[in-house]
Amino acid sequence: MSLVLAGLFILFLLMGIPIAVVIGAATMGALNLSGVPLMVVPQQMFSGINSFALVAVPMFILAGDVMAQGEISRRLVAFADSMFGFIKGGLSIVSVLAGMFFAAISGSGAATTAAVGASLVPELKRKGYDPAAAAALIAASGTIGVVIPPSVPMIIYAVIAQESVAKLFLNGVIPGVAMGIGLILVALIQGHRRAYPRGTAWSPGTIGRTFLSALWGLMAPLIILGGIFSGIFTPSEAAVVAVNYAILVSLFVYRDLTLAQLYRIVVRAGVTTAVIMFVISASSVLSWALSSWQVPNAIAGYALGLTRNFYMLLLVIMLIILISGVFLETASALVILTPMLLPLALQLGLGTVHFGIIIVVGLAIGMVTPPVAINLFVASTTANLPIEKITRAVLPYMGILIVVYLVIGFGPLLFHNWQ
Amino acid sequence: MLAGLDRIDRLLGTILTPVVFFGMAALTAVITLQIVSRVFFTSVSWTEEVARFLLIWITFLGAALAWQQGRHLAVALLRASLPRAPRRAVTGLAILVSLCFMVTLVVIGIRYMNVQSFQKSPSLRLSMSYVYAVMPIAAGLMAALSVIDLIRLIAGRDPRGPSGDA
Repeated sequence: MSLVLAGLFILFLLMGIPIAVVIGAATMGALNLSGVPLMVVPQQMFSGINSFALVAVPMFILAGDVMAQGEISRRLVAFADSMFGFIKGGLSIVSVLAGMFFAAISGSGAATTAAVGASLVPELKRKGYDPAAAAALIAASGTIGVVIPPSVPMIIYAVIAQESVAKLFLNGVIPGVAMGIGLILVALIQGHRRAYPRGTAWSPGTIGRTFLSALWGLMAPLIILGGIFSGIFTPSEAAVVAVNYAILVSLFVYRDLTLAQLYRIVVRAGVTTAVIMFVISASSVLSWALSSWQVPNAIAGYALGLTRNFYMLLLVIMLIILISGVFLETASALVILTPMLLPLALQLGLGTVHFGIIIVVGLAIGMVTPPVAINLFVASTTANLPIEKITRAVLPYMGILIVVYLVIGFGPLLFHNWQ
Repeated sequence: MLAGLDRIDRLLGTILTPVVFFGMAALTAVITLQIVSRVFFTSVSWTEEVARFLLIWITFLGAALAWQQGRHLAVALLRASLPRAPRRAVTGLAILVSLCFMVTLVVIGIRYMNVQSFQKSPSLRLSMSYVYAVMPIAAGLMAALSVIDLIRLIAGRDPRGPSGDA
């Protein structure tokens, strides 16, 4: 029965059917053939999204979209520039830092890329940076958006794996910073080779001024992450606080948001949410079917039968995640891979949280690997460049991200008593 | 005929847009109320439940709006690389698969709603039929949009597709 399911799934996927329908229709077909009453479909589709933790998904998307447009992100960039602009090729460092910072406000890669790109691409072009390399670096920095908390994929993973959202968030900080450092290293080497110009001269006065002007934006992560980690808010509540904060600051402090714009942003965030949540809803039926046919256990048993070399198996898991990220969009890959690979990962002795970080980082790298590469699309629209050019320029950044990925996967094992 | 279909298509979008806006605004308001009441007064019991139900409604009706806007994610690469005639055939089949799925969802969605009609939600005592009704409604809208796409395809026009494969 699982072969019918897999066959229908691949066929439907290649036909260009929307992924939520691919998952739903393939599962429904297989369930029907095996004589399971279809009543399980609505039941699972509702129970899969009837979760208070998932309320954080629309809210973090909305907060990110509001803050991505206009003043908040522009001032953050100016602040980062005042601190690091004086270095040769410093504006590259600024792109990565702005990406990391925005990652602490937004939960999506696309919003992070858009926010940093809109304020930095014109600046980078004016200062004579290679436009394709600049756009590629911003797209690569955007991947950090889903690793440094808050993170929409981490919320989705936490709900599927029944793990605490806050725990995943907490464990995303160091991997996210590591990705940022990796990208900065590559950017520094490139800046040196290509003799990029220096930016704003270093002066405490400028730093102080831009710091004050960016203060409203800088406070956002403190409120969001501080609220979650201190236990004042649940992640869903923190997301709503972020929405209110972003709207109030944009409407009344910076006054760069009109009510008509706000209406459009809210609707767009609602549609983005629905697209992701509809995939999650359909995939709940899939994971129900898979577990009732004991597919995840079969996968784990098969893999462990092939080899007992745990390092090899972890490497294979990480490769599967990377390759899925190339062809599938993050949320879809996440909801399909998690139920199938988690039992194997647990048998290998990986923790639920560690595996969650591995899967989220792996799929984040997929955001800059064509054909399905949301960050490259956003960067190509913002920078007005063909996607092929950015793709070539993104390769060195992708390389360092994969190195960091391997460290994130295998590194923590040094501290485990692992066999 | 085609002009009439276009009008229905746009009308669906015009109706669904404020609905999705209202859902998002209500979700924000309800959880804001939850935080404010917990911090300053006593916590209200029904906010989590309302938030979950709003999320369900946003998911399904937003999915219908996304369908109207052609925003659902799909792997469109292979289909797009086909020559015109086979591409149109595959597109037609793809729409038919979606149509069958949506019609099935309408049928089993209504059945599920009826089976669950005596269930009441724990804190609001709201009949669960109101929550579950959204599945047949949204699936019905998406089925209608698929029919429109199919007619457009037969008439020789390019259908709305999932625009990007992002």
